[in-house]
Amino acid sequence: MSVTLFNTPVIETERLVLRAPQASDVEPGITFLMDDRSRYMGGPQSRFQAWRTMGHVTGHWVMRGYGMFIYCDRETGEPLGATGPYFPEGWVEPEFGWSAWSPETEGKGIVREAAAAARDWAWDNLGWTTAVSYIDQDNARSIALAERLGAVHDPDGAHPDLDGWEGTLVFRHTPGVSA
Amino acid sequence: MTAMNIPVLETARLVMRGPEAEDYPDFKATFTSYRARFMGGPLNPYESWMLYAAEIGHWQIRGYGMWMIHDKATDETYGMAGGWKPAKWPEPEIAWVIWPEKAGRGYALEAVHAARHYLYDQLGWEGAVSYIDPKNLDSIRLAERLGAWKDHDAATIDGNDAVYRHPAPAALDDSQLAHGIEMEISHYRDPLFKPKGWSID
Repeated sequence: MSVTLFNTPVIETERLVLRAPQASDVEPGITFLMDDRSRYMGGPQSRFQAWRTMGHVTGHWVMRGYGMFIYCDRETGEPLGATGPYFPEGWVEPEFGWSAWSPETEGKGIVREAAAAARDWAWDNLGWTTAVSYIDQDNARSIALAERLGAVHDPDGAHPDLDGWEGTLVFRHTPGVSA
Repeated sequence: MTAMNIPVLETARLVMRGPEAEDYPDFKATFTSYRARFMGGPLNPYESWMLYAAEIGHWQIRGYGMWMIHDKATDETYGMAGGWKPAKWPEPEIAWVIWPEKAGRGYALEAVHAARHYLYDQLGWEGAVSYIDPKNLDSIRLAERLGAWKDHDAATIDGNDAVYRHPAPAALDDSQLAHGIEMEISHYRDPLFKPKGWSID
């Protein structure tokens, strides 16, 4: 018998299925986290650290009762990235995060489709009345996505006080607002 | 309610369950303290939370992991024990941590003995090691009480740890070693007869 999360939601969109993390997501996630493409979210990480990062994405669900979804190609089931509500200890506010694990996923509106669906789920199920996205000021693509999702830069928003977080911008999401 | 189907182990004094959210403060107290110096710590609160969440995720990734050790009667937590193999680990490890104020009562011995039995008997492990900081004398002593010995030839994690190799399942099955461990545990439960060399952990 395998040990897995259970009682987790599944969201379907036009092109994607969003589900809780599985053991098979770990290697594709690690590949991303060890790649330079993860540089705006604390990467590239060592394999040791990346493994722990992927493990905690699963554990977050047990700790909080929700967590980041893995969004997958609806046809092939291939995991493409992670998105959704994220609130570890030390976070000033609940966050909506997103990542695209391979460059092929970018530029097609896929991350936006996934992030919007996960955010809608969170608004409907978690009782949140606001949330933020913490984004590196140099991460132009992620800032553009936040704005396409209707989030606005909050100059008064605070971010976690962690090494390397200088220059992090706070984008604020509001229920019912999407661009 | 999101949860994970982690098996539950029971011993004479303890019940061992998967790590739960409500147990996190106990974990944090140890891993942000000096007690964690032999386990990659002390950690800041974010690192500590992340490690705890990753210990839960470890169960899904590997099919085994670390149990939270509870008192069977009061449910209070004493520490953690179980199987551990994150990235970079040369071999599957049997690992443990006891909250500092709960040490000296044989809980680690009782919990690790039960965890090792589960890993060998239910999951078919043919052996295991424990990676221990050479300065962590309490843990080295526990490894030796469990019948493990220092394996000078085995690969280490990063050269700063000593490898203690556990006896194979056959060496534990109805052996003098297993009987000795069970007798030592029973003496903690009923301290009428204290074993020689009363241990520090």
